[in-house]
Order: sequence, then C-alpha cells, then structure tokens
Amino acid sequence: MQSWHVRILLVEDTHDVGEAISRRFHQTGHTVDWETDGVAASEILSFTEYDLVILDVMLPGVDGFSILRKLRQSGSGVPVLVLTARSEVDDRVSALDLGADDYLVKPFDFRELEARARVLLRRRSGGEPTNVIICGDISLDRTNRNVMVGKREIQLKRREIVLLEILASRPGKVFSKDELLDQLFGFEEAAGENAIELYIGRLRKKLEGARARIVTLRGSGYQLVSDDAA
Amino acid sequence: MTARIRTLALAGLAWLVPTLAGALEGESETFPATAKETGHLVIHAATDLEAMRPLLRDFQARNPNIRIDYVDYVTNDLFREARDACRAGTSEADILLSSSVDQLVRLANDGCAQRHDSPETRSVPDWANWRDEIFGFTFEPVVFVYDRRWVPSEDVPRSHDALLELLRRKPDAYRARIGTYDIQASGIGYLLAFYDSRQAPTANGRLLEALSRVETIVRCCNNEVLGELAAGRISIAYNVLGSYAYAAALANPDLRIVLPRDYALILSRGALIPAAAAHPDLGKRFLNYLLSARGRQVAKDASFFFAENAPLPVGVDGPEALMDSGIGRPIRIGPALLAAQDEIQRSTFIEDWRRHIGEHPQR
Amino acid sequence: MFSRLMRRVGVVLALGAGTLITAAWIYARAAADDAYDRLLLGAAFQMSESLSVADGNLRFVLPPSAFELLGLANDDRIFYRVIDPSGATLTGYADLAAKADLSASRAAPIFGDDAYLGAPVRTVTVSHAMSMPEGPGWAYVVVAQTVEARHALASELTVRATMLVALMSLLAVAGTALAVRYSLRPVDDLAAALRQRDPQDLTPLTVAVPNELSPFVTSINYFIIRLDERIKLLQRYIADSAHQIRTPLTALSAQVSLIDEQRLAPEDRRHLKRVQSRTLELAGFTNQLLNHAMVIHRFDSVQLVPVSLNDVARMAFRNAVPITVDPDMIVSFEAADEDLMAMGDVLSLREAVVNVIDNALRHGAIARLEVRVRQRENFGRIEVIDDGPGIKENDWPNVISRFYSRSPDARGSSGLGFAIASEVATVLRGQLGFRKRSENEPFCVYLELPLVGGQP
Repeated sequence: MQSWHVRILLVEDTHDVGEAISRRFHQTGHTVDWETDGVAASEILSFTEYDLVILDVMLPGVDGFSILRKLRQSGSGVPVLVLTARSEVDDRVSALDLGADDYLVKPFDFRELEARARVLLRRRSGGEPTNVIICGDISLDRTNRNVMVGKREIQLKRREIVLLEILASRPGKVFSKDELLDQLFGFEEAAGENAIELYIGRLRKKLEGARARIVTLRGSGYQLVSDDAA
Repeated sequence: MTARIRTLALAGLAWLVPTLAGALEGESETFPATAKETGHLVIHAATDLEAMRPLLRDFQARNPNIRIDYVDYVTNDLFREARDACRAGTSEADILLSSSVDQLVRLANDGCAQRHDSPETRSVPDWANWRDEIFGFTFEPVVFVYDRRWVPSEDVPRSHDALLELLRRKPDAYRARIGTYDIQASGIGYLLAFYDSRQAPTANGRLLEALSRVETIVRCCNNEVLGELAAGRISIAYNVLGSYAYAAALANPDLRIVLPRDYALILSRGALIPAAAAHPDLGKRFLNYLLSARGRQVAKDASFFFAENAPLPVGVDGPEALMDSGIGRPIRIGPALLAAQDEIQRSTFIEDWRRHIGEHPQR
Repeated sequence: MFSRLMRRVGVVLALGAGTLITAAWIYARAAADDAYDRLLLGAAFQMSESLSVADGNLRFVLPPSAFELLGLANDDRIFYRVIDPSGATLTGYADLAAKADLSASRAAPIFGDDAYLGAPVRTVTVSHAMSMPEGPGWAYVVVAQTVEARHALASELTVRATMLVALMSLLAVAGTALAVRYSLRPVDDLAAALRQRDPQDLTPLTVAVPNELSPFVTSINYFIIRLDERIKLLQRYIADSAHQIRTPLTALSAQVSLIDEQRLAPEDRRHLKRVQSRTLELAGFTNQLLNHAMVIHRFDSVQLVPVSLNDVARMAFRNAVPITVDPDMIVSFEAADEDLMAMGDVLSLREAVVNVIDNALRHGAIARLEVRVRQRENFGRIEVIDDGPGIKENDWPNVISRFYSRSPDARGSSGLGFAIASEVATVLRGQLGFRKRSENEPFCVYLELPLVGGQP
C-alpha cells in the first residue's frame, strides 16, 4: 500500500520535536521537508506539492492558522494534520473549521501521530467511485473508512477494513488464504497464514451481531455471507 | 273657652291686678292613667287648660300608662316658681309651657333648662328653637278683630297704617270703640307691644298716639278684650292672639279676624324641660308629641287653629303667603328676648307706653 | 427601597400635618376669640352708650340691638350687669364678675375668661364716665357670653384646616409615591438589565439612566470591565502556561522516542520503558490538568447553545479512541435515532466525554467499548460501556472528586477525568452517573443532560 513515494512537509519550530518527527517518518521511508519558520513554510507550499502537511500552530513569523487559511484559499486539498500546544480548545475548532483534516494536542504519542498520518495518506490515495459497500446490515464507507453495523459505528483497524473490503466487494465468493495474504500485505511484508486467521478472528468478533457472517470453509478459504440473502 | 280663667299679674304692681275668679297659683287638674300607671308626668303651664285638653287626651290615648298632673299658672308666677326651683336645684315640673317665651329664654339663659334632641325637635324651625332647650310648639299670629255690626266694610283696617288712617279719618266714630291689652298687666301684651315698637318705631308711635286720642280701652288680657268686643262695647280689638280670636269668632259669627297685610307678629308658645326635672324622659316624650305631626294636627284642629305650613283657617282675612311674603314676623326665640326681660327696660317701656295711652281715665 | 422612602416621607408628612393642625387649632381659637370678642365688645359699648343722665337720674335703656349682636352667636347664653357710679348694680345679673376690679377697665375694655352659672364664659368690662349731680363718676357694663360658638367656630375651622391638611398630605403622599416610583424606575430598569443579562456577558452596561445614577452604572461597568480583564488574563495565563508546559513535554517524549532500543543493554532498555511510560503518564496528566482548568474557565465566558449530543459524542469518540488502540478491542459508537439537543458548550462537553472514554479505555475495557447516545425521558444520555469489572458502587462518589485513585497501585492517574466530566455535567444542569455491572448488562458510565425542545 505504501509503495509510492510520499512527501511530507513538517512545520515545527521546536527543534527537539521536529527532529523526532522527521526521523520517525524517514525511518518509514517517507521524505520529510522540515521548516521551522512560518513565512518560509508558506512560501514553499505555494510552489511545491506535498502528500501531507504536519503543521504546528505556534510559529514564529506567520502562525499555523494563517498558513492553513492561505493554503485552502489557494484551492489545495493536501491533507493537513495540525499540532497544537495551546489549551484554548478554540484552536482545535478553528483548525478544523479552517480546513485541517485532523489535529493532535501536544504532548502526543508518536505512534498515534504516525497512525493518523497514515490514515490521512490513505484517504488521499483512495477514491473509488462507488464508495459504499453494503452486505447485510454492514455498510463500509470507503472514502471515510467508516464501518457501520446497523446503527453502530464499528471502529476497525486499517487491515481489518481492507480485509472487510475484499470480502464484501464480492459477497459469497470464497477467498483463499493466499489470495487474502497477497491483497492484505502485498509482497514486501512477510506474513504467514496465521496472520490471516488472526485478522479474520478479530473481524468476526467486531462484526458480531451483524446480519452477515464470515464463514470459514475448511481447506478452501473464507466468504462473507449476508443473512438477508438466505 | 268662656270658662277659661286667666290671670296675669305683675309683681310689685299688685294694686293694678284685676281680681278674677280662680287662684293665683293656678288651676290644677289630674288626668289619671287609663291603664296601669307606670309614669307620672307633671306639666306646669301658663297656657289655658281648655286649649291644652285635646292634646293631653290624645297624648294619653297613646300613652295610657301615664298619669298627667297639669298645673296652670299665670306667666309671671310660672316664671318665678321655676326660677326659684332652679336656684334650689329642684323642679316639680317635668315640662314647662308658656306663652311668655322671653321668660323661658331667661330661664334657659340662667341654665335652668336641659337639652333635648330628637327627630321631632329637628323639625322645629330655627326661629322657634333656642339651644335645643326651648321649642316653640304653636304658631299664633297677632290679629285685629272687628265686629261687623259696627264696622262697615269700607272701614275694615287691613294694615297698621289703615288702622291709623281710619282713626284719623273717623276719630269720633271709634272713640272708646277700640280695645287692646294693658301691657302693664299682660306679659304677652308687653312682649307684643315691645316688638311692635321695634317693627316700625315711628309709625308705631303715631299709632299709639292715635289710639290714645280715640281713648282706646285697655284690658288685662286677650279674653277680656274679646269679651268687650263680643259684648258690643267696642268695635275693633287691636293686637289679639289669633288662636283666642278664632275661638271667639267661632262662638260669635259677627266677629271677623283680619291679619294685617303690612306685618303680623307671630308668637310661638314655648316648651322647656327643667334641668332638674324629676322625669325628664316623660317631659321629653310629651314634648316630642307636641312637636310631632300628630300633635300639631290636633293643635291645629282643636286648640290653636293656626299652623305655619297650613292655609289660614276659614274666614280669616289675611295675606295668602304669610311667611313667604315676609309679612309674618315671628318673635324669634333667642337671646334678643333677654332685652325684653330686663327689669329697667320693662319698667321704662311700660312707663312710656302709659304716657301714650294710659293717661286718660279708663272706663 | 420604595416602601422605606414612603415610610420616611410619611413620617415627615405626618409630623408636618400634626404641626399644621396644631397651628391651625391655635389660630382658629385666636380667630374665634377675636371675632366673638368684637361682638362682645360691640354689645358692651352699645349698652354703655345707652347710659345717660337725665334729670339728675341715671337712665338706662337696654338696647335690643346689643342682644341681637350677641345673638349672632345664637346658642350662647348672655349675662350682663350694669353698675352705676355708686357701685350698685343697676340691672342685670348682680353677682356677675363680682370680684372683678372694675376700675381697671377705665383705660381700655378688659377681656377675661371666667365661669358663670356653671358655664365657662368670656367677659368684657367697659367703663363709661358719667356726670352725676354729685360729681363725675364711672359706670361700668360687664357683658359675659358662654363660649359655645367660639368653640364651635374654632373646631369648625380646625376641622376644615385638618381636612385641608389631610387632603394636602394625601396629595403629597400620592405625589411623592408617583415621584419616587418615577425616579426609581431607572433603578428597576437597571436591575432588569442586570437580571436579564447573560452571566457570561461581560460587556459594559448600556442602559440609559438619569445623571444621578450614572456614577452607579459607571461603577458597575468598571467592575464588569475589571472582571472581564481578569478572566481574560486568567485564560491567557492558562493558555500560555499550557503552551509553556506542553512544548518541552512534547520535546521530551520526542527525544525519548528517538532512543534506539536495539542498541541498549537489557537493563537500560528496562529503564527506557519506564521513562517512556512515565513520560506518557505525565503527558496525559498534564493534558487533563490543563483541560480541566480550561473547561472550568470556559464557563466563565462562553454562552451556552443547543448542542447535538450525537455530534458531540461522535466527535469525542473519534477523538478519544486512538488509532493505535489494541486491535483486539471492539470499539463501537451508536448514535440515537433522533438528534437530541441539550444546552451546552460543544468543546467542554466533548472534553467531558473524551475523559470518560479515555478512562474506560485505560482502566476499564478488556475487549469491548461501546459509546451510545440514548434518550431517557427528558434527558439525553451519552453512555460509555465497557466489559471491565467496573467501579465499585461505594467508590462512585469518590471517583468524581479530583485526584482520586481507585487502587493504590493504579498505573497512571485517573485523577481528573471523571472530575472534569462531572463538573461539566453539573454546570450544564445534568449529572455524571454510573450503572452497575450485572449479569445482563456491562458496566456503564453516562453523562446525562436535560434536553431542550425543538428537536428536528
């Protein structure tokens, strides 16, 4: 899934923080341009395309809000994740109102930052025309990565959503473990069949109570069956 | 009426007092209660019992449990007796009735009366009520009476001026044919003469002069004068109380009554509750009766014939609206009567009067 | 204020009326005396003028007009006495003013108050010089009159004056009442403006008031501005300190996260783990502290608006459940069928719910966490349900107080989470509640708020 080259602009004036963030994204193979000054960041954004912008609000020169406002005014749809250290809860609202896609309040867990960044990047890469898949009372919104069972919104992990997406794209079709392994992990990651069983198990549990089930066909694979069809 | 005995006397002038039948102390009569007696009303009056009798009877018909002792005095005796009792702080009488209202005023002025306020007393006109202590309960105009056998109709005097004119015109025809009070002997006479002199001092002086010239006959009192008239010894009686005159006219159709049209004095007999009355409640009850519509009706029908708010009795020649026209001059019951009561005043006035009238020999 | 003013005005008016009436009474007495004294004197003069000497004798004619004059006081009794130059009583009441010094009246008539025949009387004595044959001498006239008419006139005058004074007092009271009401109306207006004012509205008052009240309004406004400044200052202080604390904390955790565990000795790795965990704990607690302060102070300045509980709960749900949550945890959100509206402040409310969810994730849920919005009669509930053991019933009152740890060895501090949620709920006239875990139902913490009408 992350086989394409990703460019991230990080705007953060606190050196220790900026260093850690850019190091972590480098480690996962992304290119990170790190700016500490608001004016410079704003300029760079006006002529460079990025896949994600991580923006601190409190900046010398121009603050994060102004950069964001200007960015959105120029028509750019690049995902923006705002970081804030202010406690004025208003900051978050205005960040979202101004077109930020997500925000984190400092201090934050770096794994959470990475996870949220991934979500934003994936949302950016998605974009199938039919966005909602329905099977039984399970509905999967592919744009927002949202899963509903009846009226309940179920929070699924990234790979669980991908798994559900594969199964629900053709309900009733039996997918073999190998097929699922390929689609789920690609070729880069080495994962065993046990991993498939693990995800299937989790997904099953999270879909409990739904009017659709994941059926295990011993020896051949898995299928999603809607109770409504029966 | 003829049985009526009336004596008027003036203290200190005993030689002048005509000796008449009846006692100076007055007549006394008891009206026993017609039912079980529960009260005893004592009336001391200087008012003829015969005139009062219908009123007493009617009152008793309504109050059968009350015995009435009626004692008739001459005015001066009544006054003296009441004054002495008052000074002693006692009173035999529960109510005093007198035509000499000046004496009653004097009694009230000296604190010998008690107040009385009731719905009946409130109907008494202002001029007949002093201090809610003296109430006038009759309405008696002072009139001329003539004998039509002797006085031709063109001679009938309908005013004081007309009388003066008549006496000047025909002095001989009326010589010794006019009669009036002897004010020396009569309290009422004095009071009327005193008020006459104040109504029109000059005209009155001239009238007295004319009366003197025609040798006017003076008699002690009303009935004496009227008696002379009835007997044909005089032709005109001057200044007679209307009530007596009307009674006389009823008895003798030849007697005619004229109410003068220039002015007519009006006397209201007074009633007074003594301050020390033994039964003031009974006195007040009787007074209320006298002042009530019923009592006034009885008085008008049977006793005094004239009433303030009634037409003149049949046959009386007089102005139509006596009071409204201002012809009726009521003798106001009030402090001004004290002037008439003054001893020096009285003796001076009588002396003057006598100089005018009384200096010719009486027949 | 009105009644107190009126009471005082009433007292002043009553005192004034009392003084006026007393003065009127004194004046009426004097006026009545004056009026009737003239009558008395006139009558006495008339009588004395009637004294004359004729033929060597003293002659006296009592003038009725004198009595008519006195008779103007119709109800009063009259006593008189005429004394000749020899001192003998000529006529009248011989014992009247028997003890009086008659000669004193030679200069001028003498008035006096006396009693005669048991009644109070006013007397006047006048003198008259007479030329008697035996030589000149003085005759005297004493006239006395009871005082009923005087008293009647005096009381009539007094009664009229009293009525007038009463009327004036009444008018004054009514006028004062009107005036006081009228002049107090701006105060009422001001009070109404203050009463209707939103507690969070810290703009100066703009009510039009008369000049007399403007210092008052100025003071109020001065106070409001000061309060507003203080609140702003406090908020800025909190915001600034938040920033000041968070930035190094972030830097710290950033730097810690950069340490390469692989290169550390096992011993050091253990220490690193401890540092990481404590850093996280510190971060979480700092967030709670700052959020708590923020939430509480927001209510000083924020105006409440109708808030959709579904939206707030969903926002909180997405915010509170980290993407990095344990993959075996089943986390779900279920909105209410209708959009439930409650008066509130989105951010505070969301912060409250976030704290409840956060607490459930950290200390409660084992494998399942559900967030639901439900209607219960006139209340809307945001329920946070987990499959953990729950909180013991007798701990419920404690956990909503600040800095309370459920167990002595509780990892990290749950100290402020419930406190924030509870305080927000209370300010919004709702409550933070708990439901016991039972056979059929898992443990539940809920935030309950009164609903407002106009649900779409």
